Amino acid sequence: MDLRTGLVGGNPGKGRTTDLVIAGGGPAALSASLYAARYSIDHVVLESYQPGGQAALTAWIENYPGMGRISGGDLAARMKEQAERWGGSFETATVTSTGLRDDLIEVKADSAVYLARFLIIATGAAPAKLGVPGEDRFYGRGVSYCATCDAPFFKGAHVMVVGGGDSAVKEGLHLSEFADRLTLVHRRDRFRAEPYLAEKLLSCDNCSVRWNTTVSAIEGEDGVEGVLLETPEGEERIDVDGVFIYVGRRPATEAFSGLVELNPDGTVKTRGIVGTSRSNVFAAGDVTDNELRQVVTAAADGARAASAVFNLMQ
Amino acid sequence: MALLSESDANEVRKIFGSLERDVEIRAYTQRLECPTCQDTEMILRELDGLSDRIRLTILNFQTDREAAGKDGVERVPAIVVSDGTHSRVKFYGTPSGYEFSSLLTVIVDAGGSGKTLSEETLEFLDGLDKDLSLQVFVTPACPHCPSSAVLASRMALHSDRITSEVIEANEFQELSRRFRVQGVPRTVVNGQYYAEGALPEYMMVEALSRGLEEGPEGEKDLMDYIRTS
Ligand SMILES: Cc1cc2nc3c(=O)[nH]c(=O)nc-3n(C[C@H](O)[C@H](O)[C@H](O)COP(=O)(O)OP(=O)(O)OC[C@H]3O[C@@H](n4cnc5c(N)ncnc54)[C@H](O)[C@@H]3O)c2cc1C
Repeated sequence: MDLRTGLVGGNPGKGRTTDLVIAGGGPAALSASLYAARYSIDHVVLESYQPGGQAALTAWIENYPGMGRISGGDLAARMKEQAERWGGSFETATVTSTGLRDDLIEVKADSAVYLARFLIIATGAAPAKLGVPGEDRFYGRGVSYCATCDAPFFKGAHVMVVGGGDSAVKEGLHLSEFADRLTLVHRRDRFRAEPYLAEKLLSCDNCSVRWNTTVSAIEGEDGVEGVLLETPEGEERIDVDGVFIYVGRRPATEAFSGLVELNPDGTVKTRGIVGTSRSNVFAAGDVTDNELRQVVTAAADGARAASAVFNLMQ
Repeated sequence: MALLSESDANEVRKIFGSLERDVEIRAYTQRLECPTCQDTEMILRELDGLSDRIRLTILNFQTDREAAGKDGVERVPAIVVSDGTHSRVKFYGTPSGYEFSSLLTVIVDAGGSGKTLSEETLEFLDGLDKDLSLQVFVTPACPHCPSSAVLASRMALHSDRITSEVIEANEFQELSRRFRVQGVPRTVVNGQYYAEGALPEYMMVEALSRGLEEGPEGEKDLMDYIRTS
């Protein structure tokens, strides 16, 4: 039986002056905290929920070197434990805005204010919405963005996954172990996902793919009953019990828009790999415009950002 | 064979080392028609062995009716966590996966040494003039569920106006169907308002206080109070 032993969350945010605030608590932040702790940098990690980020939202990860196949939750828990063991400190707080106060960066959170010499933005990304009628209305009633959370509700059901990247295909495979039938809808004629994952899905017995197809509405009374599809042959309605949406991510940068330069898509505009438009602010992981968005790259960015802070403090 | 590995047991022992006072855990189980009761008992007995501060009582839901009534326990397996003075905080279902970490956290909170709530939350709770029942539906593999489960439990630990139930949605399918749970975490307030997904503490408090101000008007998404603000 799987029993997770860590405690939930951090201390409530109290606010203080420190050398470094790390905003976010995903792999990028956890790695930054581990490195900062080992550099003896006084710092605090501010996370809205539980440390782990998107990495914790997937049933398994098998491309983080050295870990074989590991559940995302376990990998995240290990990262947190390791950072804590070296002195990383975590507080539960949501960063709502940032600005300058004298020489320091002011980080406002829901319940406290922090002042820091340096800031690492590692707030990652949240699932992007499809933006079709019915999506909001049926959220939690058949529309989901988290297969590992909600798959058990769809035992024996017909489930649809929307998207064609790694997450869509990987989570589709996870869902196919619960659902009776899985239909994946993708707007292009081939997957963006790793060929290994794509082949696995294409050879899965209860999975089928609708290429060049988009969802135009999600319908139902009390919960999801079907979707309207835009297919090459025209409009079509099919019955489904659930719709899992994996169509990209929205960077969580609202709180930093006045502080550093952002790209039109909302990501932090980086200089070098983890630098930003401000010399005492760094960005790491999915929140940046760096190309590959994975646990391994987020962890690497976090390490680089902490090291950059260390160098500036010398 | 033990359910907790040696290293996990050591970690829990260390966590429980911080307990400042005794924590009472009352578990209700039954022999028949409860496939998960035995595992729940086993997990709790192992926890009991890891600290002198844990005082576990296992009761039979069928024969200890009076105690069950007093604790307000309605189904099994049930776990009531308290400092011995109340039965406001309950877990229904096997505490496995992420629910195990929620249970550990709530035990540590009840033992007086855990993390507390923010000042704003405490102020809201102390000013409550109505009772709130919080039911949080969860699944063991849901990483955002502990935030909601622990938040509701902490509120109930702090305020005698609040009761919390953390419910494993798969184990109580009928109840989940009644509240139309198809996604977790889902927090149902007074059987009426609901919050879909995990809300950060300050948003939950804001939504609850607005909801209470406006009074009940049928089933309503708590987020509506935030969206319209
Ligand atoms: C379904 C799915 C499957 C995936 N599978 C894999 C895989 O197999 N292999 C792989 O390498 N990668 C995978 N990824 C990608 C990987 O999870 C991400 O690239 C990685 O988690 C990015 O880490 P991060 O720390 O940059 O950001 P995130 O993981 O997004 O973490 C950001 C954290 O910041 C917090 N936060 C956001 N805003 C605030 C705020 N204002 N205040 C405080 N805290 C805030 C969030 O709650 C979150 O915990 C997957 C992603 C998904 C969604």
